[in-house]
Amino acid sequence: MLSNSIWRFRLSIIPGSLISFLLLLLAFGIFYTLFLNSGFENFSSVLITSRVQGLIKFTLFQAFLSTLLSVFIGTLLAWSLAHQNSFRGRDFLIALLSSSLVLPTLIVVFGIITILGNNGWINRSLLYLFNFSFENSIYGLGGILVAHVYLNASFAARSLLHIFESIPKERYKLAKSLNFSTYRRFALIEFPAIKLSLKSISSTIFLLCFTSFAIVLTLGGSPSYNTLEVAIYEAVRLDFDIPLALKLALIQLSITMFLVFLSSNFNIGISNIKTSSNQIPWKEPKKLQFFQLIVISIFTILFILPLISIFVDGFGANFIKILSNKLFLKSLITSLVIATFSSIFTVVFALLISDARRNFNINYRVKKTKLSSFINILISFSGNIYLAIPSLILGLGFFLLSQKFQAPLLLWSLGAILCANILMSLPFALSIIYPTMQKVALRYDKLSFSLNLNGSKRWLYCEWPYLKSSVAYVFALSFCLSLGDLGVVALFGSNEITTLPWYLYQLMGSYQTKDSAGVALILLVLTLSVFIFLPKVFKNVANR
Amino acid sequence: MLQIDNLKYTYDKTLYDFSLHVKENEIVGVTGESGSGKSTLLDLIAGFLPPLGGSIIFKNRDINKLDAEKRPLTILFQKYNTFEHLTVLKNVLLGITTSLKPKASEIIKAKEILNEVGLKEFEDKLASTLSGGQSQRVALARSLLRDKPILLLDEPFTGLDFETRIKMLNLVKKISKKRGLCTIMVTHELNDCKLIADRVYKVIDGKLVCKD
Repeated sequence: MLSNSIWRFRLSIIPGSLISFLLLLLAFGIFYTLFLNSGFENFSSVLITSRVQGLIKFTLFQAFLSTLLSVFIGTLLAWSLAHQNSFRGRDFLIALLSSSLVLPTLIVVFGIITILGNNGWINRSLLYLFNFSFENSIYGLGGILVAHVYLNASFAARSLLHIFESIPKERYKLAKSLNFSTYRRFALIEFPAIKLSLKSISSTIFLLCFTSFAIVLTLGGSPSYNTLEVAIYEAVRLDFDIPLALKLALIQLSITMFLVFLSSNFNIGISNIKTSSNQIPWKEPKKLQFFQLIVISIFTILFILPLISIFVDGFGANFIKILSNKLFLKSLITSLVIATFSSIFTVVFALLISDARRNFNINYRVKKTKLSSFINILISFSGNIYLAIPSLILGLGFFLLSQKFQAPLLLWSLGAILCANILMSLPFALSIIYPTMQKVALRYDKLSFSLNLNGSKRWLYCEWPYLKSSVAYVFALSFCLSLGDLGVVALFGSNEITTLPWYLYQLMGSYQTKDSAGVALILLVLTLSVFIFLPKVFKNVANR
Repeated sequence: MLQIDNLKYTYDKTLYDFSLHVKENEIVGVTGESGSGKSTLLDLIAGFLPPLGGSIIFKNRDINKLDAEKRPLTILFQKYNTFEHLTVLKNVLLGITTSLKPKASEIIKAKEILNEVGLKEFEDKLASTLSGGQSQRVALARSLLRDKPILLLDEPFTGLDFETRIKMLNLVKKISKKRGLCTIMVTHELNDCKLIADRVYKVIDGKLVCKD
């Protein structure tokens, strides 16, 4: 191997490692700041109170239950979709499943309340048809589970469908010729194929539900259904009890750090790879076909109804009033600016971190030693920091730092929101960009050595053609995640610092139903348009 | 005798029309360019694709209407013939019991066949630890255990090194002749066909043309 090229590889480790180092420093800084300010001597007294123990138990319980249900339903749906390859609307349903990842949680909550709320569509229909309605409130554990499963089962289904469809067709042919039953087929072919991904998808969903904020805040209902994350928010914004918030944050941080470090090498399990249209060479028995179609139909109805409700209710809003409201315009512009910057940073960070990681994972680029393996683990961990330090805790850390350094709160808040949005998108961005960069390196390293392609030429001929669709997808994904996030802004939100989700939350909180329906519709249309059209626009520009 | 007459299928504007007769104890080789439809022929015979017309008669019985699993044949693919998380013995036993609860006599039979393909000492190893040639031997052993009179080989030894490929081809020939099987081997390697096949066909414009 050419020594020049080796040195180029070794030097290219620096930018990505530097970013990882800064992210780890940020995590450590926040941990340290929280620790310093939490009053360590009273820490154990907080931990043993029944309220805190109840919070920890409920947070773990709802995350466990949400994960179990999401993974079960997601697997069932992905399996049904893989075997029902030719019904009309399949592509549309899969596109919807993909978009669930970027749907603003507040929109989902809004839709679920419109359908399942006390005065929702179902109760109103029952009342009209049978003079009967359900008394059970959507607020509480039920509501939290419904919203979590709504978002995460779709995410699991979309990720698993790709794996079901990548199972070599020869396996199915072999199983068919060996007269496997449906159960045997699943046990011997399909389950072994999805097993590894199930593990990473489950850990991702568990962490997302463990640190879930907007859903629990809006659907939790009473303090008995609070999670650690919401309790931190309430301690800061409602009770003004910063020491308690810090202690709770420290407890949550310790648990999530532990969980993320355990699974630091996992793949978050999403891709922008299109699903295959190849038919699995196995004609299902009629009863099974019926069952699979029922599963798909039920899920489609349940998934689409809340979205339709947002359109139906949203159309009744007074858009002239909404669009002429200065606070709305300010929220919209702030959201768009933050989303643009956070997407740019996310893409750049993901490219640099992936480049550093692939150098450590390809033996001829960087020799494997104990030190290089350790650095590699740290770099992987730095990309998943958000799962350990959710935005609310990040916001709390920034809040404390702003007090210490006495800088303008506006600046710190915008910095915190931007930072949180980048960290939030980074695990997804890395799971999309890293595998492609690794593949490109393995495929083209030797060829580019022999042709002496280095620097910008290598980027132009070898990297960019394969990365451009992933980059466009990551940009759109990051933009939408940022657009819909109600995390840090919940701590800093005011008339001075406001984003669209915060503005919507304020409207919902003050029972301005019509206006909130209109804003929800605008946010939904904006998110879906960006998610669907931005990669296409990007592709056209890149191909010119 | 396996009689395939005017077995029709259409894909991507090409009409395939295959006719082929294979006697017991005979090995027929089918070659052709990539995408010419060689594997389509095997998929049609095996029941993985529904033909538009034609017949597949074996021992005076039209097997064309039978489901894939009920046809008197067994097939070997180029890849993915084994289940990596199962042992060699279990992979072979899947040929007769998918519940993997074999009788003692079935285990003895499977072990005998593993011995026949030269894998006696590998029976407790996981399939994931085997080389390409060894994996194909496992698949061959399973095919033999199934005791079906028709053996279909879909580019089974492509990708193996020269020496292993020759060994495997000779093994197939020996076993096929010993058991009197009707064997059809699809490959793009004409030399492989010449080594073991009694007759060689080439797929040209969707039809089988005899090369001898």
